[in-house]
Amino acid sequence: MMTLTEALRQIKRAPVDSQPFRAVLACGFTPLHLSTFLAAHLQRRLPSRAVDVICGLYGDLAGTLRKSAGKNPSAVAVALEWADLDPRLGYRNLGGWGPAEQDDIVRQVKARLGSLRRAIEEVAAAVPVVIAFPTLPLPPVFHTGSWQAGSAQARLNALVQELAAEFSAHASISIVSAQRLDLVSPAGERYDLQSDLFTGFPYKRAHASALGEALANLIAPPPPKKGLVTDLDDTLWSGIVGEVGPQGVHWDLENHAQIHGLYQQTLRALADEGVLIAIASKNDAATVERALARPDMILSPEKIFPVEVHWHAKSGSVARILKAWNIGAGDVVFVDDSPLELAEVEQAFPGIHCLRFRPGDYASAEAFLTGLRDLFARKRISGEDTLRRESLRSASEFQSQIAQNDASQEFLRELNGSIAVNTDAAEDPRSLELVNKTNQFNLNGQRFDPVEWRSLAASPDAFVWSVAYQDKFGSLGKIAVLAGKVRERKVFLESWVMSCRAFARGIENHCLALLYERTGAGEIVFCFRATDRNGPLQDFLSRLLGRAPEPAARLERREFEQRDLPLYHKIQWSQS
Amino acid sequence: MNDIRARLTTCFATVFPALEPAKIPSATQKTVAAWDSVAAITLLNVIEEEFNTQVDFEALADLDSFDAIAAYLNDRVAAENQGA
Repeated sequence: MMTLTEALRQIKRAPVDSQPFRAVLACGFTPLHLSTFLAAHLQRRLPSRAVDVICGLYGDLAGTLRKSAGKNPSAVAVALEWADLDPRLGYRNLGGWGPAEQDDIVRQVKARLGSLRRAIEEVAAAVPVVIAFPTLPLPPVFHTGSWQAGSAQARLNALVQELAAEFSAHASISIVSAQRLDLVSPAGERYDLQSDLFTGFPYKRAHASALGEALANLIAPPPPKKGLVTDLDDTLWSGIVGEVGPQGVHWDLENHAQIHGLYQQTLRALADEGVLIAIASKNDAATVERALARPDMILSPEKIFPVEVHWHAKSGSVARILKAWNIGAGDVVFVDDSPLELAEVEQAFPGIHCLRFRPGDYASAEAFLTGLRDLFARKRISGEDTLRRESLRSASEFQSQIAQNDASQEFLRELNGSIAVNTDAAEDPRSLELVNKTNQFNLNGQRFDPVEWRSLAASPDAFVWSVAYQDKFGSLGKIAVLAGKVRERKVFLESWVMSCRAFARGIENHCLALLYERTGAGEIVFCFRATDRNGPLQDFLSRLLGRAPEPAARLERREFEQRDLPLYHKIQWSQS
Repeated sequence: MNDIRARLTTCFATVFPALEPAKIPSATQKTVAAWDSVAAITLLNVIEEEFNTQVDFEALADLDSFDAIAAYLNDRVAAENQGA
């Protein structure tokens, strides 16, 4: 748990002259240390930004929400407590506790939640909102003992739960998990009566830190890992398959191997969400193939790609898997029961997240499974996520074909590729996701938060295109985004990214041709910036321009057309 | 006492990062513009963390200078040592 001293020091680490990240904290109490902890946890998550948390006036939660838009924030955090819904549900008010007030309190809370819902929805139309519903216990207002959930208490909880359920489905609203908060901040150790009465700040510091972290997690969640490499023996199943044979390994309750079944079940769920799953095992390949083919396997073989089974070092397997996936070790989790194998892989790939599977350790199994889920957590699953595995398989097949055919024009033409361009793609979450996670073919490496992205797209001369691709090897889904402005017959291309899965098909040439054609522009100005990782984009621009690209590099349409680049794809236009 | 003043100096530097180190020992609520009511509580809580002690809210009004806080902490430590 972060202490207040650590929080203040963390805030001081904000880089000078960096891009600000502004968050509004809306609460009815004195924000005091909650704003400090929220700022500190956000600063830790966003080390390249200068975090600024803006608070409203004491007791004016609704006013803070109403005025938040004027502060131009990147996010709004709401910390709601019972006293915000009815002052009689706090300790700073003497409005009365007892049977006479009971029904009126429930009515008041219902009305107040109704007006809060409208205010929050209005804010969420423009800015992401994160909310913590009441975290403090109700005071002894009602006639029931503290061990009983009386009618009024149950109704109050139901009202809050109803709104939380409604908000949880909203695209721009996220809710703090009460279950997680209960685990890290026990309910009986949250409230500080003295601080509440003397300063208006109701939390003990440990709870303020936990709540600040929970809100920061929702505003700036850790980037989800993309792939998982798993061992087999005593990990995916119980037993050594080379010794007991394919029928002798287990993952069920009957054989006291349920932990392995739960692990497989988790991996299957992750695979269905688009997480890449691969195997790295020191084993006999034919034996493993028969074990994986067992019909009772929970994680079926078609959800696994690639499978590396042999007797060589696992670091070599991981290297080949990363190459097939075309992602970095920092995006991957490696799971094995052997500390030796974990150490060998970690030494070869310092950025990889290694997790030890402990087959007989029931005490740590629950935390292991929850931790695994958290490493891959995402707010929503897109169609592209579920396409990823098949798309990588087809990209891998494409790469092996291209190696044999030397990417001849004839070969590319015979792919029967088609491009679908959505010219109104700003609101598609996949567009921003692609822009923020693509490194290699990225015009300038610029990242955007949702508010900045919306602001870019809101300009009347702005365009945001997404490009989807498919050919005879299958669909790659949405693989490129182009965004910028068209002014005086010039395209100012401010953001251009393309997934590395789509390289070598000439899609980038076609994107530029379409940009000239659709906008009628006579020139494209590339808002280029070299980054440590955008080498493929730099190579492409160098070939296209005939010189090393510089910031604001230009290419006239006439010059582009003189290149007479082959354009292989059928085109389909759409607007979402 | 010297150890208390050194640790207290660290607390002041954490809460008032703009305050010149040389001016910390003579700091008072009147001379430090950033020392408002919120900063006073923050300072008090940072001191609690540094010295692993509880400072009474009732004492807050009197703890309005570096010297006053150092003296308060000195008395607390002495009392705790006597109790031990």
